[in-house]
Amino acid sequence: MADLSNLAGLGSDPSGEIDSSASSANNRSLRLAEKEKRKGEADPFGLAVKYLSQVEAGTVVRGNDELERNMLVVETVALSKGLPSEVITVLLDLALSLNAGTGNCARVLKFLIPATVVPQEAIVKGVSWLCVGKMPMNAQVLFVRWVLTVFDLIDCKDNLRSIYGFIFSFVTEENLCPFICHLLYLLTMREHVHPYRVRKLLDIQAKMGRQPFLTQLLALYKVFRPDLVTLSLPSRVRTGFKNHNSTWKVALSAVQRKNKGAVLVDQSLSLDVKEKPSTRKRVRCHLCNTVKSLTEHTLNSNKKVFCLQELRSFRELLENIHNIELPAQMGSLLGSALALHYLDCVQDESASLRLNFWLGHSLQEEFLLCPVDGSSDNTSEACRFLSTILFSQQFLQEGFSSTESFLYKFLSVWDGCLLRPQILDLLSDIPLMPSFYMHKLLFEPLKQLYFTSTVFFKVCMVLLFFFLSVCLYQARAWPCVLPRTMTLSGFMDSVMELVRFVGLLASEGLRLENCHVLLLNQTLAFYETVCDMFLKYSLPLIIMPPAGVFYPALFATDSVSVDRLGYIMYRYRKNLTLAKKQEQQREQTFHISRNTYKEFNRNLQAMVNSMWNSWWCIPGSDIEIDKDLISLSKVPEPWCRFDLIHHPALFSYAIEFHQRCWPERKNVDLGSIKTGKYWNWYMEFLFNQGFDGLNNFIQTNTGHSSGLSSQDDRQPTSQP
Amino acid sequence: RAVNTPASRPVTRRSKSYGRSCVEAPSYFWQTPGHLAVLKIPNSRGTAKSQTITNKVDPEHIALLVKNEWKLSYITPLHHFRHTRLKSYSKHLSAFIVAEKQQGVAVEVGLEAGFKVTFSAVLGLAETDEDAETVFIQIQSKPVFAAVADAPKVVWRGWLTCVNGDLEYLRSLPPDFVSLPLFCTSGPESLTTLVKSWFERVFDCNFGCLALNSTTLNWLTALWTGCHPTCNIRHLKLAWSLPTQPPLDVSYTVNPQDAWELWNSIHPEESTDDRIDIQEVQSFINGLEAHFFRHFKIFLSAGTLVKVSTALGSAHVDGKIKIGNSDYITTLLTLLTECALLKMPA
Repeated sequence: MADLSNLAGLGSDPSGEIDSSASSANNRSLRLAEKEKRKGEADPFGLAVKYLSQVEAGTVVRGNDELERNMLVVETVALSKGLPSEVITVLLDLALSLNAGTGNCARVLKFLIPATVVPQEAIVKGVSWLCVGKMPMNAQVLFVRWVLTVFDLIDCKDNLRSIYGFIFSFVTEENLCPFICHLLYLLTMREHVHPYRVRKLLDIQAKMGRQPFLTQLLALYKVFRPDLVTLSLPSRVRTGFKNHNSTWKVALSAVQRKNKGAVLVDQSLSLDVKEKPSTRKRVRCHLCNTVKSLTEHTLNSNKKVFCLQELRSFRELLENIHNIELPAQMGSLLGSALALHYLDCVQDESASLRLNFWLGHSLQEEFLLCPVDGSSDNTSEACRFLSTILFSQQFLQEGFSSTESFLYKFLSVWDGCLLRPQILDLLSDIPLMPSFYMHKLLFEPLKQLYFTSTVFFKVCMVLLFFFLSVCLYQARAWPCVLPRTMTLSGFMDSVMELVRFVGLLASEGLRLENCHVLLLNQTLAFYETVCDMFLKYSLPLIIMPPAGVFYPALFATDSVSVDRLGYIMYRYRKNLTLAKKQEQQREQTFHISRNTYKEFNRNLQAMVNSMWNSWWCIPGSDIEIDKDLISLSKVPEPWCRFDLIHHPALFSYAIEFHQRCWPERKNVDLGSIKTGKYWNWYMEFLFNQGFDGLNNFIQTNTGHSSGLSSQDDRQPTSQP
Repeated sequence: RAVNTPASRPVTRRSKSYGRSCVEAPSYFWQTPGHLAVLKIPNSRGTAKSQTITNKVDPEHIALLVKNEWKLSYITPLHHFRHTRLKSYSKHLSAFIVAEKQQGVAVEVGLEAGFKVTFSAVLGLAETDEDAETVFIQIQSKPVFAAVADAPKVVWRGWLTCVNGDLEYLRSLPPDFVSLPLFCTSGPESLTTLVKSWFERVFDCNFGCLALNSTTLNWLTALWTGCHPTCNIRHLKLAWSLPTQPPLDVSYTVNPQDAWELWNSIHPEESTDDRIDIQEVQSFINGLEAHFFRHFKIFLSAGTLVKVSTALGSAHVDGKIKIGNSDYITTLLTLLTECALLKMPA
């Protein structure tokens, strides 16, 4: 194709290098040539089109392998992907000029499948070839049939209408007449109806009899100019025009179906003033629909108003914010950042209600009432729809109430798989609500999903983690975003319920899944947020992890979990100390219950005892185990199995440390690490491995700052 | 449109600026297994009472409603719908239909090109002050090349109504919305689609199919049977579909007197309050099913009730109804309005 090669030659070097030296010019042209060559190699289609555009009149066709080969390349692309509009022009010209022979003319016409649109100039040129009169009759018929088939894809028809007379002249061709009549029928405007044309058609009718295509065209003429067509027409015209698209129908629909996905992406998010697309899918039709409401339009016609869709920048929005007209269908605003800005700013209740009605209806019809049939096409569209909603919600930092009520309904029928990422994201936008509803609407269905999923449903944990962090995100500004019907204590109750619920799910999940590492880590990540609720989010709430989470983490076999637990306990201590201080100083109304302190102390004691004091099953603690029972296991020195040296998560570090200290020793005696300076060295070694959480934990709770304090200082400091 | 900021608006940002919460009013949220609804589903309702509707409503209008079988849909509230503008709606809708029908053909709009649409208000069907008046739409067609003498033919009818709609719901809507949740149509599907898409464009509303679940059909069975002493119901025909292989369709016709006696034994006519409880309805249906089992050893409860019909009307699970007797129209429309409101999103 000519355009392609020109482009490469004219355009500046896209690599953006600035070559000022004279010698570089040479290099540059070389590079360009190279690039063009490479492009050619990479794009056999472009090359083939270029070749075909240069075929001249009189080219030998029979036995011309090169022509055949290039033709084949273009044909394959055309039938699989369709042809871009400029290629259509080139090929139509090639075919109708008969430069590649009459056989190829028909062949090219048969694979002339447009990918997007057909430029009207190509058709005009085609008609001029028709006027030349060289083409055999069957090629002429094929061409007009092709024009009829792609008629709706022609980008614009005004030039075509201006050569109406030329087209009309072909009605006298007996074979072409039915097709030309159809084409004229599609093109006719009032100004095209003239007495001499009516006369001509009547002449032909006298010759050919009452052919339906003639009658139909005359009927149209009568609609436009009843004064000119006096003949009485049957009250009911039985058949209109036949479909002439049989040759291209299958290929055209296949190509359009394939290209639909690609075209959709930009359609769905842009707000251009466009016609409604011909596809009849419910979800999308609003996204690009911009018909104005009759009532609003007539009311405001005397004022200068701006359609929200016509605004292009935020600046324009600000300047015209008082004269903005909402679109007739609020659904079209979804996904447009400017429109959402506006909506957020004016807080027009009925506008948001309209948006909600549409959204709720679409969600309900798509997902609840018409079950998704599972075809990939459908799912990807649903996925795009949900992503648009998500985008809008994240933009507004708030969920739509219709999405919310949809989710409550959907959760009870959801299989936990369908569109999981989107549904989970949507769930995380749900605002907090009174704990009674939270139980009924969220926890119950989620619990069922969580426990009945035979595969490990770790994602559920991820969800809940996200969920909470978003709740807390909202909570950061809680005094002003508190739902109207929720009191502060109600809000706290809800947060508490939520955290407890996740705790319950996590401990049961860990038990069922044998303390799966990923699940454990996700749970700990969740508690990393929870432990800082007071300090980071100023929520007067401190909730300890349940034993089902704490002990699996304490006795975990991977060091990351143990380190995370150390960090969490360290943060809990910070939060509790500060809470206590504030309570004493300012006598604040909020009150952390004694139980929380007790729980924390118990956990702290367990952790310090097992890791630092080498005595993990202290009598009276949560995990007291009968001594005889332990002795049955025949583990030597059972009490120190979970200290900093023997803990299964840290054991390998102790071994490594041992090897470094005493490389010549054959017998590993880990006990020797505990003696003298080795202990401090070991601490330092351990903390240098990146165990910051453990480091913080040990420093605050034992006063041991690596390498400084002595080994004897093993008593936990006073607890808050 | 000027920005509307009344002084009374709270300064703090509303948490629910994007719609109304479904949990704010505790009575609003109700969930039963298998049936999802945001509104409360009533457990009892008044008995069907005969009223001579023609005293309130133009008998010509009533005659139009009684004649046809109607396909039901629900619609979300209409934005900026005005009963005073019905004339201009007629004009716009007919222009719209002509334009859509002739798509791709350049035809000058305004010529008598075949379709004539009439919007009219059916006054008097509304029961409460919150109910919007019913709107009836009729489409007449005159073929393009018809002789002058040919009378235009009615090709499509439809009406939007709201009878005894949930007061709380209707009151919660801002004033620029009109809720006419029930849409009944009769005529070719293509025209229905056109009318729907015109409404969707002009009033920013949405349509969905309104299927009637078996609870609704059970209610109708009981309500209609209860009318027998005042108005002969002639027969009680019930149709079940049983999920066997191949599917078994059971048609069950009960003598009206027998049906009424069964109903009277459950809900005595002379009982003081004239409300019917859902339990009574259920035991009535159970009684009918038990009787059938005694004869044919088939558990009808294993299948689904598909259709119920009496002289007063009929209703199909797919959302098709027929109104047989106008005197009981209010009861039927109340029930259907409720079904439509239950489908409302948000």
